[in-house]
Amino acid sequence: MSIEIIPADRFTIQELTDLYNQTRVDYLVPMPMSADRLSEYVHDFDVDLRLSCVARDTDGQVLGLSMLGVRKDVAWITRLGVIPTTRRTGAGSALMDCMLDHADSLGMRETHLEVIKNNEPAHQLFLKKGFVETETYLVMRHAPRPLSDSLQGDVTWFDFDQAIESLERYPEHITWINAIESMKNSLDTEGLHVELPNGDSGWMVYRNTKYTLRSTLSHLIIHTEQGEPQNVGMQLLSHLHTNYPHHDTYAENIHEHDPHLPAFNELGYFTNFARIEMRRPGK
Amino acid sequence: MAKILYIEDIQDNITLVKKIVTSRGHEFLSANNAEKGLDMAVKLKPDLILLDLGLPDADGQTLSVWLKSDPALTTIPIIVLTAWPEDVARQTVEAYNLNGYLCKPFPLPSLVKMIDSALETNL
Repeated sequence: MSIEIIPADRFTIQELTDLYNQTRVDYLVPMPMSADRLSEYVHDFDVDLRLSCVARDTDGQVLGLSMLGVRKDVAWITRLGVIPTTRRTGAGSALMDCMLDHADSLGMRETHLEVIKNNEPAHQLFLKKGFVETETYLVMRHAPRPLSDSLQGDVTWFDFDQAIESLERYPEHITWINAIESMKNSLDTEGLHVELPNGDSGWMVYRNTKYTLRSTLSHLIIHTEQGEPQNVGMQLLSHLHTNYPHHDTYAENIHEHDPHLPAFNELGYFTNFARIEMRRPGK
Repeated sequence: MAKILYIEDIQDNITLVKKIVTSRGHEFLSANNAEKGLDMAVKLKPDLILLDLGLPDADGQTLSVWLKSDPALTTIPIIVLTAWPEDVARQTVEAYNLNGYLCKPFPLPSLVKMIDSALETNL
């Protein structure tokens, strides 16, 4: 099959949304998007539609798409997908080549992506294109529920600027969607700091996203400044959920060895799925 | 006859479930995203909600929180119909206090049984 690659900015957001949803109908973890959500995604994660691609055949039938985000000298491949009936035609490989050509021609030092654990066809494609696995991250949920633990410590709530200031001092690697650029791009970024009676302290930054009718919490990043991460994490999360008792929470890309993970588990978070981060050096 | 609302974005799934629901003599309603689903639930007060987890605007877990937080809707049973892995569906039902789940593709008699059971408990 002859495949034509077209810049994604020649399509409307609605057309890209429809195509993306078609590529995901049989996905391991189906996550369709609305046009509003895709627009927000493109904005928040610095996706450049001029560098993103749509694949189609010579009859004009769209086959799949892939998107590229660019920040300084790092590129990020995301939303790669091929419509199920047109898989194994080379469309996925052609889309990847397009992304990597763009990244290399821009002189990117490295290209990152994340693949859902057990999505073996995609994983194999990325290995073939020169990506190597780096870290594993968990995507976790927390349903609103009454908290039994007593709250401790002095809490300071952060506005947007204070949250970003804290994040600037975060010492660990953060994946693309939780990185400081992503959090700066969203006006919903907030945070809190807690100092416990024993002197332990830490902070958390998150998004408090307002939908039409309700809000949700997402993009949680926790840092212990001093003391035991499990205790600090417990208090940060407890204060958060006590302050927002009716909010559903979606904690994306928590490192599988994050020292605060026991606190998440103790407070009733459960894992929806895992993502493997992969990287490829630029050429 | 009960009123059943199915919140699902894939038309083929809506068509299939509609056939099953109407063949049992129930009234069938559908919404293809979370916002419409919430709006229809508030206005039409269904006896049962069948909920897909992968919705385009807000996912099924989040929508279930919104539905349960409305005092007029809180007792409506919610059954999850999902293509997500079974352990995720099970944990979701437990954590979000929902009434059951079926993982796609599911045998049609299982859906009938689950609908009958949820309605019997709630009516």
